[in-house]
Amino acid sequence: MSVYKLNMEQLRNWVGRLIAERPVYGVRQKDERFVFGRLKKPEELRLDYDVTILPPKKYILPTRENLLAYQPGEHYESLWADEPFVLLGVHPYDFVAIRQLDLLFEREKPDEHYLRRRRAATIIVADVERASDNVFAGCVGTAVVKDAFDGLLTRVEDGYLLEVRGEKGEWLASLLESPSPANAAELSRRNDVWENNRRRLRKHELKVPPEQLGDLLRRSVDHPLWEEKARLCYSCGSCNLVCPTCYCFDVRDESDWSLDKGVRYRVWDGCLLEDFAMVAGGHNFRPTRAARYRHRYYRKGLYVPEMIGELACVGCGRCITACTAGIANPVEVYNRLQEEPHEDDAAE
Amino acid sequence: MGKPRVAIFDFACCEGCQLQIANLDEDLLNLIELVEPVEWREAMSEKAGQIDVAIVEGSITRAEDEQRLKEIRQRAEILMALGSCATHGGVNKLRNRVPLEEAQRIVYGASAGMPHLQSGQVKAVHEVVPVDLKIYGCPIEITEFSRIIRELAAGRTPFVPNYPVCVECKLRENVCRYEYNEICLGPVTRAGCNARCPSNGMWCFGCRGPVDHPNINAAYDVMAKYGKTVEDLVGKLELFCSGEERIRG
Ligand code: SF4
Ligand code: SF4
Ligand code: SF4
Ligand code: SF4
Ligand code: SF4
Repeated sequence: MSVYKLNMEQLRNWVGRLIAERPVYGVRQKDERFVFGRLKKPEELRLDYDVTILPPKKYILPTRENLLAYQPGEHYESLWADEPFVLLGVHPYDFVAIRQLDLLFEREKPDEHYLRRRRAATIIVADVERASDNVFAGCVGTAVVKDAFDGLLTRVEDGYLLEVRGEKGEWLASLLESPSPANAAELSRRNDVWENNRRRLRKHELKVPPEQLGDLLRRSVDHPLWEEKARLCYSCGSCNLVCPTCYCFDVRDESDWSLDKGVRYRVWDGCLLEDFAMVAGGHNFRPTRAARYRHRYYRKGLYVPEMIGELACVGCGRCITACTAGIANPVEVYNRLQEEPHEDDAAE
Repeated sequence: MGKPRVAIFDFACCEGCQLQIANLDEDLLNLIELVEPVEWREAMSEKAGQIDVAIVEGSITRAEDEQRLKEIRQRAEILMALGSCATHGGVNKLRNRVPLEEAQRIVYGASAGMPHLQSGQVKAVHEVVPVDLKIYGCPIEITEFSRIIRELAAGRTPFVPNYPVCVECKLRENVCRYEYNEICLGPVTRAGCNARCPSNGMWCFGCRGPVDHPNINAAYDVMAKYGKTVEDLVGKLELFCSGEERIRG
């Protein structure tokens, strides 16, 4: 591992060289918010963003991804995308989410489409400069990441520190002009940024220790809160679609006009949507709004943690902002389950 | 089996949905490769007997139209309602909210009494005859129409979204209109337009009609959160959904 100090001009030139080498997807302004998008020039990059509307996972698990091209009855051919690219400015919580997806897509039946894109990605994390309205990464241990990235940018007074790791990191460093290593004072300032982010990225205070959440949820299957909240739920799926750790998709076919050629593709899906749990024959095994509403909290707090050993909410706060009904705040829900225990629950 | 015989019929509407089909350009040729048009007032003069797919555009407003529609239903294997006027009564249904004479006076003024201007309550197609498939929108999305035709021709059940516009809006990464303190009908409106309006800086006014089970009660409660009143919401819901009983909370 090496840490370099870049002044603003060095940063700009370095980003320019990245753009010349590979497609670079970085954070840009869109109206009053921010989004990840293809950078054409370094000036577009906004490392001072608060949060993006969609998480950067969209470059590894695209909103719509072609999986294969088919000719009915004849044969099919898998479609791959493995052109190298750079993801620039990923906040630590979103990087933790990508690491969780890595585990989920590698286990049991590895998802080769995901894994190829993932291998093609060089990910440069950026420490949070501006806290978004609803971020609570500080409560779930995702305010700071210390490893597994290829690059890490941290703002210090008159520039940025860049830490690089591994082979992809070496490539990143090779594009620096006259690299100068960070000194001890600068490294200590970086520690301050981390300390500070752990403390301040807590717009909501989770009172349940993450490791106790699973048991709390096991006791809360029949809690009246699910009905109470779901009464206001539109089943619009916004809370799923903006979530960096959601990974459900639907698979569809589309044929061209000849009808004998087409593509099979997948699109993001969400467990809050009415037809999400619809199976062949028209049976819906999660037909009520309350059952769907509850499911997301169980996925984040119990089911996925059982698979990967980590809380599957990284505290980005996007669902809280995206829910026009104002009912999607995981911190509020988990706190209330703890504060208003529901006694007569049978275990699941 | 030969190509499916398809006919297009129009009732009370602006014919904008048919125009979308006529505007397919080179895909119109592709479409005609797949299906055989046998009756289409806007584009041909022939009349056909039995048809495989009847595409019905417009709302039903007069007794003679109901009769005509029933005859079409008898001749057709599959009946498809095309566009909001046909699927919901569309903007035409606004008329049902005032007494008929008043509506006629507002629209036709002094000529209101003329016999050819007489018409009754506005109905969606399914309120008169059974409908097999609905293509939503005012006007329809031509890419969706083309896809549905291909899926039918390929013998598959066409995919029609039963999720709200918010899904497509989120996937396009629009800033939500509620963040600008506007009322958007996206959360209760059926997707399929690729969130056309919010992607162009406008709130969704619900032209595709509601999803199967819209949570209208939530919409009323949520208004308070944004400092809006129920009237603000009802005014917007009525434009395209005034005929849908289920939107009245
Ligand atoms: S559940 Fe909400 S806060 Fe947690 S990771 Fe998903 S979007 Fe972010
Ligand atoms: S089940 Fe629901 S919460 Fe879980 S990943 Fe899928 S959409 Fe997201
Ligand atoms: S965003 Fe809110 S209203 Fe929409 S599905 Fe999620 S909880 Fe329900
Ligand atoms: S702008 Fe409208 S359609 Fe888009 S997310 Fe917001 S409420 Fe939904
Ligand atoms: S966004 Fe709403 S009003 Fe606009 S086309 Fe779609 S359904 Fe119609």
